[in-house]
Amino acid sequence: MPVEFLQSLSEMQIIGGLTVLSLLIGGLIMAGGFVIAKIVKLLFYKYYAPTLPKDTAQNISKLIYYGIIVISFLGFTSSQGIDLSGIMVAGGIFAVVIGFATQSVVSNLISGVFLIIEKPAKHGDTIQLPDMDISGSLLDIGTFSSRIRKFDGTVIRIPNEKFFTSNIRSLTESTVRRAEAIVGISYNDDIETAITVIKKEILLNMPFVLRVPEPEFRVEELGDSSVNIQVLVWHPRDDWSQAQPILLTNIKRALDKTGIEIPFPQRVIWDAKK
Amino acid sequence: MSTDSEISFSNFGIYDVEDNLELTFPDSEIKFEKIGENAFSYFRKNSEGKIIEKMIPVKSNSIKIEVAPIRPLNHPARRTGYVFLKFDKDIYLSENSAASIFVHCPIEIGLFLIHDSNRESLDWITCNPLNSRFGLYGSPDTGTLCKYAEVSLATDYSDSIPYIEGVMKIVIENTLSTGQTVSKVIFPITDNSLYYDDSKAIIDGIKITLKKRAVVSVADVKTTLVETDWIKSPTWEDTTVGSSMEMGLE
Repeated sequence: MPVEFLQSLSEMQIIGGLTVLSLLIGGLIMAGGFVIAKIVKLLFYKYYAPTLPKDTAQNISKLIYYGIIVISFLGFTSSQGIDLSGIMVAGGIFAVVIGFATQSVVSNLISGVFLIIEKPAKHGDTIQLPDMDISGSLLDIGTFSSRIRKFDGTVIRIPNEKFFTSNIRSLTESTVRRAEAIVGISYNDDIETAITVIKKEILLNMPFVLRVPEPEFRVEELGDSSVNIQVLVWHPRDDWSQAQPILLTNIKRALDKTGIEIPFPQRVIWDAKK
Repeated sequence: MSTDSEISFSNFGIYDVEDNLELTFPDSEIKFEKIGENAFSYFRKNSEGKIIEKMIPVKSNSIKIEVAPIRPLNHPARRTGYVFLKFDKDIYLSENSAASIFVHCPIEIGLFLIHDSNRESLDWITCNPLNSRFGLYGSPDTGTLCKYAEVSLATDYSDSIPYIEGVMKIVIENTLSTGQTVSKVIFPITDNSLYYDDSKAIIDGIKITLKKRAVVSVADVKTTLVETDWIKSPTWEDTTVGSSMEMGLE
């Protein structure tokens, strides 16, 4: 019975020499190819990827996955008796047409290749694209686009061409980073005393601030209402959240304890008639 | 109101916990309590008011704990294996001379759960959090992040400051043809073992050789083992990282 059924399928011609049976076999080859590609990719991720850098592992897994799919596609075409040499000849002209039509796609693809070769940032690096006002952790550099997880938890996809031509600021390349804050004190208060108390408070309450180099203090400006002091502290690169967001809190606490005033904007008005 | 000098602190060593155990260290309290037939609770409060609580399921009716000094790498967070010791007084060595000094080196305290002959890292504390900070040796982009401490000279191994600072022997040899001033030493402390006796600790030493390499003068630092009958501390390993939960396939 099944033999008869298959025979009937092989007699049902769709177009040219293409029968339903050969199409079914081709479909099975392609489906098998997808399943094998998926399994090999999973096995690679489970057993080999942990020993490799993340971006290298991703690139190899993509190579394996698409390689198996291409091989199964070639198996599919040969099972259908399709002669690819004819397509190759037509392909030259077709490629020019496709090239014009998909200029941005090709540009993204080539940019992706250059990004993989140049490696301006690695998987997991915290980066900033100042031109696009994007900051976050680089998830991956894909074939056509790259993905960044922003600090608010959302993921943004950036076409590789834009990513490649942007300024990329790496926030995790250096061993340490610097946090900065500016505070204004009253003209009546002593600058040296303010610096001493701020430094003491920082070294006491901010364990991630480096002792070497020491916190640095610069009188930034003699402003309209206050003497503005810039405070610069270094911290381990991964501990930004333990320095920058709490720096001003500690500065204010230090000044409050000592009674040093942080003045509001003031303007002295002279009455010329008096 | 009691002061530190009136409180008797717990010593380093091995403790059998059958019911309850309370350990007291400067600015830190630790409690083990039996909460069931085969379970103990662990409670720790430090000087910053931070509380850590854990439950320890066990197979037997009791547990064994070892309290021992460990390398000063965990507070405020483990970021490096290097230590930057800044001497309170510079050491001057004339040409082709050598000196042997003892210095105080900060320590932390590790708590280990003893299983057969294995020591499992349970928790750690620091009794001197204000002197536990980071420092950078080198430039911000290529420098080495270190645990930084300003240290004073010690008289000998018995000069250890209980729970806070161990004693380390440093041998400095100047093979250069000019006198040199040494004010700091930076080295990976991960190769140095610690040893304890009651509440005191000593650390494997280092040998610094000031020598010429090509046209530059360098300081070559090597670990030297201490010969002592004090008890060797287990190595603290951070078990909170390095393991992952598999949530199924992709």
